[in-house]
Amino acid sequence: MSSGLCLRVLRGSGSAPAASSGSWSRFLSRSGARRGLSGSNSGTMNVFNREMKKRQKNWAGSLQDGQQYDYLRDEVGSRVADRVYDIARTFPLALDLGGGKGHIAEHLSQVQPVVERLFLTDGSEETLKQRRKSEIPTRCVLADEEFLPFKENTFDLVVSSLSLHWINDLPGALKQIHQVLKPDGVFIGAMVGGETLYELRCSLQLAETEREGGFSPHVSPYTAVTDLGNLLGRAGFTMLTVDIDEVQVHYPGIIEVMTDLQGMGESNCAWNRRSLLHRDTILAAAAIYKEMYGSEDGSVPATFEILYMIGWKPHESQAKPAKRGSATASFGDLSKISQPTNSNKS
Amino acid sequence: MSGSNVWSRSREKIRLFPELFAQCTGEAAVYGKCVAATTTGRQELKKDLCAKEFEALKTCFISAVSDTKVQHVLKC
Repeated sequence: MSSGLCLRVLRGSGSAPAASSGSWSRFLSRSGARRGLSGSNSGTMNVFNREMKKRQKNWAGSLQDGQQYDYLRDEVGSRVADRVYDIARTFPLALDLGGGKGHIAEHLSQVQPVVERLFLTDGSEETLKQRRKSEIPTRCVLADEEFLPFKENTFDLVVSSLSLHWINDLPGALKQIHQVLKPDGVFIGAMVGGETLYELRCSLQLAETEREGGFSPHVSPYTAVTDLGNLLGRAGFTMLTVDIDEVQVHYPGIIEVMTDLQGMGESNCAWNRRSLLHRDTILAAAAIYKEMYGSEDGSVPATFEILYMIGWKPHESQAKPAKRGSATASFGDLSKISQPTNSNKS
Repeated sequence: MSGSNVWSRSREKIRLFPELFAQCTGEAAVYGKCVAATTTGRQELKKDLCAKEFEALKTCFISAVSDTKVQHVLKC
């Protein structure tokens, strides 16, 4: 019963050279006109090649047996759906940012109608084509997470699962999410962060140092959980909830880790990535990974640290902290409260 | 996929890696221990610090490759 209408929306019109131009002009344009998205004084960072990420996701989406790589997204999608259910409200209009194949909507359609209509956005057309069946009426929109083509105060709920970690300007994106939300709307997000894939990162680093004398980053930089609260606060969200969940997946070896990451569309696309990995380094990294992190049965773990965040757009109905001096009871009265229970214990 | 190109050939080759690597677990463990020791001990990891162990691992790996006589069949 899903209306799979896929609209191609004008991506990044006007201010974004990102959509069309190649890599060199991207660097030149940074010194030119500011995008004015994030008013923050730190400026916009340009860490990831979004074009490359789109191509990687399209490649992963067009794989014949691509669903074997969906386990992580399915798991995190179900946990985000759990969090949506925890909120005792119905959401007439929801937005799934970077939703891919619709891993969250799949779990939402079950018991009672929590979400009535859903907009599923992703930057990759191939992935949207592989969309899962869902009972919720869905509209697909091909949109970049950093340039949302929606009006202000549109959505009651915005969810995002495992796509925020490829965004260049995360403060700006969070501000845009805050804008498209209605007052008293909620944003529930899940992103990889913190110590994700530290085993892979360390193995490659040690192998490259020992074999080649230096090392370059192969795993993208992640947001720490401590920064997340600040980011959400700066974007204007209130009543924040941030928690971490660790998902550990066991693989036969380092090659399977990298193949699965590639199949998920999670290959490295940072500008500073090295396009070459020497055979010797791969061999060395495989040995180091197994020795340092391997378990007794010969498998190696890969850790995914998922940061879950919930933030609300301010509204008058939300509970505010009580005014100073408005207390009606004192902590000194606590001793008097305990006396009735003592007499019951006889 | 439009026929075979350098990336599909590389991916085919890398698919054979785990099997071959599994034949050299001993040498891999020795090399791994040598490198892992630098993370806890005083000695800092430098280039070719464990070169001897790595050469043993590489020799074992190369002999595993020639033993299996791997043939690459490319499908168009």
